[in-house]
Parts: sequence; C-alpha cells; structure tokens
Amino acid sequence: MQEYLLLIRTEGNPWDILSPEQQQKHVEKAAAYISNLVKEGKLKGAQPLEPEGKIISNTKGAWKDGPFNESKEVIAGYFLILARDLDDAINIAKKNPIYEDQLKARIEVRPIKAVEGVNV
Amino acid sequence: MTNSIQINQLIDHLFRRESGKIISVLTGVFGSENIQLAEDVVQDALTEAITQWTYNGIPGNPNAWLYKVAKNKALNILNREKYKRKYSFEVSKFSKLEELAFDSPLDEHVIKDDQLRMMFVCCHPALSPDSQIAFILKTLCGFSIKEIANAFLSNEESIHKRLVRARQKIRENKIHFELPATSELQNRIETVLQAIYLLFNEGYSASAGENVIRYELCQESIHLAEIIESSTVVKDKSNVHALLSLMLFNASRFHARQDELGNILTMSNQDRSKWNKSLIEKGFYYLQKIKSSSGISSYHILAAISAHHCAAPEFNSTNWKEILSLYDSLLLIDQSSVVLLNRSVALSKVHGANAALNELNKFAGDEFLQSYYLYHATKAELYTELNRFREAADSFQIALQLAPIKAEKELLQKKFLHCREKV
Repeated sequence: MQEYLLLIRTEGNPWDILSPEQQQKHVEKAAAYISNLVKEGKLKGAQPLEPEGKIISNTKGAWKDGPFNESKEVIAGYFLILARDLDDAINIAKKNPIYEDQLKARIEVRPIKAVEGVNV
Repeated sequence: MTNSIQINQLIDHLFRRESGKIISVLTGVFGSENIQLAEDVVQDALTEAITQWTYNGIPGNPNAWLYKVAKNKALNILNREKYKRKYSFEVSKFSKLEELAFDSPLDEHVIKDDQLRMMFVCCHPALSPDSQIAFILKTLCGFSIKEIANAFLSNEESIHKRLVRARQKIRENKIHFELPATSELQNRIETVLQAIYLLFNEGYSASAGENVIRYELCQESIHLAEIIESSTVVKDKSNVHALLSLMLFNASRFHARQDELGNILTMSNQDRSKWNKSLIEKGFYYLQKIKSSSGISSYHILAAISAHHCAAPEFNSTNWKEILSLYDSLLLIDQSSVVLLNRSVALSKVHGANAALNELNKFAGDEFLQSYYLYHATKAELYTELNRFREAADSFQIALQLAPIKAEKELLQKKFLHCREKV
C-alpha cells in the first residue's frame, strides 16, 4: 500500500447551485464516502483549505507575492489516502461525491514519492 | 482523522428546517428590514458546514455546529462598525444574540415564537398571497429560488423578483418583526392560515409538476401549522386544529392517487392500503382537539368530510349521507363553484345520478364551472351511470380538452372512447 494525495480543485463554491435540501444530500453522500475509506483503513487525513492564502517567492533575498495562477481554480482541500497503486487511487478519487450533482470539480491524484528501501 | 462514530445521515430536512429557525431568530436580531442579511448568514453557515463536513465527516451534534457558526457570523456582523452604521442595529439585540443558546430546551420556545413572528411578517396583508407563500418558502422553509420556481412552474428570475419586491414592501410598510396586538392577532392568524392552506393546495393539486416537490409543499404546510399549534401565543387554536386535521387527512392519500404507470386514480379506484395510516391518526388527533365551543370555519367542515373518506375501509362503505349533510352546512358559509361541484357528487350517492345532474345543469351559465374540466368530467360520470352514453361522451370530450395535465387527459380519453363505443 502506498500513500496518495488527492487534491480537490474547484472554482469558487461548487455547492452554491444546490438548494439546502440538495446540499444536505450531498453532505450525507460525502460522509458515507469518508466512512467507507475509514472502514477500509484507507484514509490518513483530509482537510478543506481556506480559499485565499499566499504564494510567496524569494528573488535575490527579496520576498514577493506570486507568481500567480492564471486560472480561478484553487485547491479546495485534500485527501491523503492509502491505495494499492495509481489505478486504485484513481478509482477512489472517482468515487468522491464531488463529481455528482453537476458540481464542477477536478481531482489531481498524486503519489507520495516512493523510494525503494525507504518508504515502499 | 476522528475516532468518533461515523454519522452518515442527518435528520430529514435538517438543513431546511434549521435554516428556517436561524433566519427567524436572526431577523429578530437584525430587524425585518434586514431579512436578506439573516438569509445570507444562514447561507454562509450552511456553506461552512458543507466545506467542513465533506472532508471531516458529520460532527456529533450537527445542529449545535450550525447554530454556533451562524451565531458567530451574526455577532461578527453586529460587531463591525461599518455594519453598525449601515444597518442601525439596536445594542439590546446584541445581548439577546449573545445569550441565545440555540439548542437549550429553554430557548426552544423562543425559537418557536420567532418563527411565528416570521410567519406574521411573511403573511402580512400588504403582500400578495403569491408573494406570501414564496417568501415563506424562502425564509421559513429553507427552499432555494430554483425549488420555488419548480414548485410554481415559474422561472427563477420571476421568483427572485417577487422576493425582492416582498422585502421592499416590508421595508416600505415598516412591517416590524413582532406579534400583532392581541386585538389583531386572531385576524392576522387567519391570513397566515390562508397562506398555509394555499401552499398546501399548490402541493396537493394535480396540476403539472414533479410529485416529489409537490409532496414536500404539503409537508411544509403541515410543519408550519404545527409551529402555530404548539405556540403559547395563540389562544384560540380551533381553526389551526381544523386546518391541520384537513391537511393531514388529504396528505394521507397523496401517494395513492397515481399508480406505478403514472395514471390518475380517483377515490373509487385508489388502493386504500396505500393511504398513510399515521397521517390519518394524526388527523383524527387534531380533529378531536377542536373545542366544540368555538366557531365553525370551512376548515372544520372540510376536515370532517375528509375524515369520513379516510375512515371508510372501501369506497362503497363511505358515509355519503353524512358527507352530503356536511356539504349542505358548508354551503351556508361558502357558495363557491367548487363546493357546489363536490356536493353534487355526494348528492348523487345519496339521491341518485339524476338528482345530481339536475343540480349541475342549473350551473350551465356559471363561467368558472364551464371552463373547469372536473365539472364536465363529473357530469360525464353521472351520464355514464344512467347509460346515457352519447351525453357522457360529449361531456368527456369537453373535459379532456380542458384538462390541464397529461395523465388526466389520458384517463378522460379512455373514458371518452369507452362511451363512444357504446353509443
């Protein structure tokens, strides 16, 4: 089993288009998704991120804001999971309820760097 | 990750219901001229909930979580200077909010009374009935504009405009967030009950639209009436009990009205095992609560009629004599065409189809009835009973042309063809 980071990428608030009733249903689906992962021992952590933060860079000893992403898409949160391989991780990502209810989102699936003899 | 037991379900309509409660309480804090602000706070709190819970799961006490977050956001607003200037809050409201522990049992009746005040604001006579129910659905029932548009077969922009105008009217007419004066209270309750009944009928009527949201309108109406029923402010609850009883009896039959193929089933054909027994029980519970000393409204009579239907184990054991007598009483206070039409059905069961037809033909000049498909459908059924198939076919034909929804048209079409064959 290896660690993978699922980065949830959205523009603005995808749930704005849902009514309170639909939002509730969505939350219940998400809770079930998380429950399952926990039961299978596959969830190591998950947190939402504040939409605003800073990107900082340092050039010749001077701190600067940026450079910035052109697009409005931000990383809204992450799931740190355990999976057999990339395909397994992708399948887990596909089951995330963010893809239902016509919510706009992308998930970036990234393996945590595996070094033979170290963390594999 | 948390060690707590994973909760995957929330109480039915939690977001909707809590939304209504918190908006009511916050409107009490911000003032009715700032209802939008209260709505925004609740919207934000729900967004926070989703953002948090879709990564961390549902917390052990979701209500408390929502209250805490909404309260904090509201306090922030009260605290900020710029908001103080813009919204002119009273300082006393600030302490009211600070003290409020939403989920303490002591505060439950504070919340109920605030919801009642909200109802009086939403149903103020200055607002049109359509605005009243749109506004109630948005603020007290936690419906989105899209859901309201779907329910009323309108579009989002119209509903949005209607709500904006309603909020404007509240400001212009200085409609305050308070209980009406005691002398006014019963009158104002009547307006609220009318709005609730209107909402119920929107859900109950068979005009086009999705069944799911229509049943939800019925549920919301019952829920609103129950808030009034449990309030300590309203003294004479006779009409509330009657209306509740009526709505519960009617709602109990909601799901039996269509078969699996979507065909409409009249009461004579409905599978009565599909009638919701617990709603019927609740209906009788409220019916019995009505004190005999209080006055009779049309809600009382309609509830009693509905009770007779619900009490009959099958169509043929319906107590039509009692029902006819109740309709006769109803006519004394309500001579509307629909009452006359429904009474004629009872009349036919007690005195025969001819007597009923004679009654109905008296209203040949009534404009409303002439354009009402059920008038012609009822006549057609009566003609059929008497084997007068040509007249039956003619009436079915008019009925099916006037019928507003597809399922009804199809049913009437079948009956029309059936009669035509026999001519």
